[in-house]
Amino acid sequence: MNGLEMTYPATRRSLPLWHMLSGSGKLALLILLLMAGVALAAPLLCRHSHRIASGPALAAPSLVHPMGTDELGVDLWAQIAYGARISLLVGAATALLAGVGGAAVGIVSGYQGGLADRLTMRLIDILLVLPDLPVMIVLAAFFGPSVTTIIVVLAAFSWTATARIIRSRVLILKERRYIKAAELYGAGTLYLLRRHFLPEIFPLAAVGMIRLAGRAIVAEAGLSFLGLGDPTSRSWGLIMHHALSFKGIYYTDFWKWWLVFPWLALTLVVTSLALLGRDLEKLADPRIGRS
Amino acid sequence: MLTIENFSATYRQNGRPLPGATNIAFSLAAGENLGIIGESGCGKTTLALGIMGLLPEATISGRVLLNGRELTTMTERELRRIRWRQIAMVFQNSLEVLNPVITLGEQLTEPLTTHLELTAGEAKERVTEMLAATGLDPKWMTAFPHQISGGMRQRALIAMALACRPELLIIDEPTTSLDPENRRLVLDLLEDLQSSMGFAMILISHNLPAIRLLTGRLLTMYGGRIIEEGNTSEVLRHPLHPYTRGLINAAPEFFPYKDLWGIPGDPPEPGLITGCGFTPRCCQAGAACTQEPPELSEQGKGRWVACHKGGIETVLSAEGLVKNYFLGKEKIKALKGVDLHVRRGEVVALVGKSGSGKSTFAQVLSRAIAADSGMVRFLGKPVYTRQATAMIGGIQLVFQDPGEAVSHRLTVRDAVREPLDIISFKGKNEREQKIKEALTAMHLPTSEAFLRSTCHGLSGGQRQRVAIARALVMEPTLLVADEITAMLDPSTQAVILRELKGLQHQRGFSMLFISHNLHLARKIADRVYVLDEGYIVEEGAAFEVFAGQIDSPSRQMVAIIKN
Amino acid sequence: MEMKATEQNRRRFFDYLFTLFIVVSLNFALPRLMPGDPFLYLSGDHGEEIARFSTDQIDAYRHQYGLDKPWPAQYAASLFALLRGDLGYSIYYNKEVSTILLNRLPWTLLLVLSAVFFSTVIGCLLGSLSASFRGKALDRLLYPLMIAVAEIPAFLLGLMLLFFLAAGLRLFPLSGAMTHFAGTAGFWHTFVDIAHHAFLPVLTLTMVRTGAMYLLARNAMTTVLARDYVRTARAKGLSTARILARHSLRNAMVPIVTRVFLSLGGLVGGAILVENVFAYPGLGRLMRESVLVHDYPMIQGIFLLVTGAVLSANFLADCIYRRLDPRIGLSTEVQP
Repeated sequence: MNGLEMTYPATRRSLPLWHMLSGSGKLALLILLLMAGVALAAPLLCRHSHRIASGPALAAPSLVHPMGTDELGVDLWAQIAYGARISLLVGAATALLAGVGGAAVGIVSGYQGGLADRLTMRLIDILLVLPDLPVMIVLAAFFGPSVTTIIVVLAAFSWTATARIIRSRVLILKERRYIKAAELYGAGTLYLLRRHFLPEIFPLAAVGMIRLAGRAIVAEAGLSFLGLGDPTSRSWGLIMHHALSFKGIYYTDFWKWWLVFPWLALTLVVTSLALLGRDLEKLADPRIGRS
Repeated sequence: MLTIENFSATYRQNGRPLPGATNIAFSLAAGENLGIIGESGCGKTTLALGIMGLLPEATISGRVLLNGRELTTMTERELRRIRWRQIAMVFQNSLEVLNPVITLGEQLTEPLTTHLELTAGEAKERVTEMLAATGLDPKWMTAFPHQISGGMRQRALIAMALACRPELLIIDEPTTSLDPENRRLVLDLLEDLQSSMGFAMILISHNLPAIRLLTGRLLTMYGGRIIEEGNTSEVLRHPLHPYTRGLINAAPEFFPYKDLWGIPGDPPEPGLITGCGFTPRCCQAGAACTQEPPELSEQGKGRWVACHKGGIETVLSAEGLVKNYFLGKEKIKALKGVDLHVRRGEVVALVGKSGSGKSTFAQVLSRAIAADSGMVRFLGKPVYTRQATAMIGGIQLVFQDPGEAVSHRLTVRDAVREPLDIISFKGKNEREQKIKEALTAMHLPTSEAFLRSTCHGLSGGQRQRVAIARALVMEPTLLVADEITAMLDPSTQAVILRELKGLQHQRGFSMLFISHNLHLARKIADRVYVLDEGYIVEEGAAFEVFAGQIDSPSRQMVAIIKN
Repeated sequence: MEMKATEQNRRRFFDYLFTLFIVVSLNFALPRLMPGDPFLYLSGDHGEEIARFSTDQIDAYRHQYGLDKPWPAQYAASLFALLRGDLGYSIYYNKEVSTILLNRLPWTLLLVLSAVFFSTVIGCLLGSLSASFRGKALDRLLYPLMIAVAEIPAFLLGLMLLFFLAAGLRLFPLSGAMTHFAGTAGFWHTFVDIAHHAFLPVLTLTMVRTGAMYLLARNAMTTVLARDYVRTARAKGLSTARILARHSLRNAMVPIVTRVFLSLGGLVGGAILVENVFAYPGLGRLMRESVLVHDYPMIQGIFLLVTGAVLSANFLADCIYRRLDPRIGLSTEVQP
């Protein structure tokens, strides 16, 4: 029994990530990679422009326009391929900004303690009870919709979760004997960070960032869907916004491509991120996986 | 009243069966008190919950009969009528045992309104009465569980359990988490309540004084099985199973002066051991022990033990030993018929004044001198020759004077190797290895320089260690230590004694410790014989002899030796 | 202990007051921080209504914000206006903002409260069932299903329901809260009509929240059922109903109730989007309309109302939480 316990984590660690994922996790990762590929290779994959009309308005999907066209005759497939760039950019940038920022705040406030910690916790408490979507709508409405604003606002609202998780982990770690021992040997903050805190915290932060990316993509889509998206871009939410603004769209067949395809793209990405996040969460903290 | 036959409860963990209790059988008469002891996880609580039918996650087999009614096949609805009405339980005291969001009053009255169909007013009156009987002010009925102290909670739990006047009360660890004063009060309370209410009681506890105070019969459980059963005071005084003895030896209340030595090792994973579960930790395990689990068998009146060897083996028994010397024409009676028994893995102290016959006895035992009459048996066989001392796994002696015990001319190597040479033990390499092992065990160097040095140059303490090492190479089953520290300074004496006891505990050999020093004997003895004027004047478990529990004239004897 | 609890309550109250202060200040600061002059020229995206303000309108705005006065005076004035319940004047709707809000609020409340009610009841019921039969077929079926449901964002789920049930199968109306002139058809008809319109939005919000409530209830009930005091209750021979209702549910309710209120913020966000999916005339719909026509006083009014409501709900959750658990103050550990 003892022997088993001793060897188990070691073998688990040494396995590549791919083999640790469940079936749904693997599928999710594939879909995300595919989407990223589409976003990067959009100019190669699209015959038509995503800005200029390239056919009749509101054409049903055909060989020329695999996903049809919108009310201005712009190819929808091109819009969705380029829209993937917006979604992934918003997701990745927000996750990076909020994840790294939240982790930094969490580490500092957990390790430092004292006044800085109390102030941070107050701020987090305040941000936690504020409903984020109304605030984002108001900010976007007043500051004008742009991808940068959306990313900054999303990040400003989503770093709290990561910061809280990391702070509590740092608080636990700080009390561990081996940290105390290292401190007794004269280890500095930087050494402790590099050698002890970061390796322990990285999996948590990574999982947190996956979650953040999912939430950010949904939030961006929601804002765009309300008409608060960056008007110079063509994000999936904005496509849906335009489609919904088309009077009586449900009495025509147009919604079957104009709405369904961006919806499908968004749902696929968001669900994949959620599934992947859940899988990684189990790996980072085995207690969650137990049911 | 309560009869349990062949009761087994098996949990499942990760799809693998995990026995919690196996083949439990005992019965309890009305008003009788039964104690159950055993380490944590031995199945005590499983058994208690099993009797109440509170193990929904386990597979139950066997029968639990309460007044002839079978409980294990009852529906939940029928069982509910039995619970608390006939069998009530005082759960182990913890913050979580009472519901934190319901007042004490409601939690105490609800069984009454459920079972006895009392009105709220009547129930409250009854509870007030019960609280008064347990010494808890009824004003606490409006309090929440977290607002009262641990001792008060224990009283509330007892009041709650007795509210419906059950026939059987099961109490799980009533005294853990209580300070000594509250412990005492709760035990007295239970005694009083039982004499006034007359319920039968099953007491589960680690606390042996509580068991001794409250119960008449005792079960020892290990690995989910009953391994010993008998009259409580007899079992505590004279345990038959090495495990029971280990539990007793670990009880600080019984041995205020002796060093505490727990049972080495851990209980095996349930379901993984095929034979007797105690085998890896036992001092007398043999080949048969790993084959199959032993059944309970009767050893003497009312005493049952589950052991392939019929309980702790007797290593040495001396019966009616008589030895006379002649000093000129005068006949000096050194031993006037001495009976003495040493069992496996125990430390027996033989104490007495100088000239009481201790050393004569030691030499008779080892056949260094012959007895005039009487019989010495080693492992059941009569000892007629010096065979018992001239074999691996036999009897070894260590004497008082280290200067005399080891020849000052021999090198350390030769001195330690001497017995092996004499019995022609295997080859040179094996002997060398044994020497080094024994020296290491006695914390002596094994360097070539030390092995080649002569004993002449060694200090008294080192010589005595060499002497003990010489005994150890023979892997003795019984080590007779005759005043081995009498000539050493106190510090050396302390070091050697602890080392020796440590070795004894680790290797499981028996030791007969002969000394006139009562304080030393009290530090290491499990049982004690007091020898005076050639007679054994007192014998018994160390905690009784030294606590003066046995009333006999020899109490004065102990006092005499104490000076 | 009692002292400690009230002190904590007070501290929490000031926390909320402070948060509210931040919200109000943000609301005050926003129009003043806007880049450029917000009132000069505002255009919607191509293909939409374009809002152009006349000089009169710009003057009206300037007057409303009192931009000619020093800002502390402006701030004090806006605070007093708020206290009077004056949220400003909507130029687009040509009405008091508060009047419009009061008109739209009932619809949002209908959606949110129904969703809270149904999701809490269904989620707790299924969660308790799952906890009681943990590891059995029912639990193994429900658990992954609920996880999946809990992960889908509300407005995407709403769109899916709209595609299939409203646009595809035509089972439900595509938009609105009631048929025009339905009010004349008698009470019962009106009721059915409203329920018919509200069904899909409520279903959407309920489904999304049921997942979360289910996971919470399952977790809470599993924890409670394994507690020593539940075993004590069973040993006492109490009926199963009493053990569940009196000895388990109350304890499990502590985290559940807290969560019901705490998650209102998320639910309101979901409701804003879902209303737009179903063109439901609540505050969310109003918000989108106001955003399109750049009706800033309106946006601010909705913002204040919604955040104020969410903050109050959170504060209520804190108080109820302290009420439910008499141990509070002993341990500050809150179950997630």
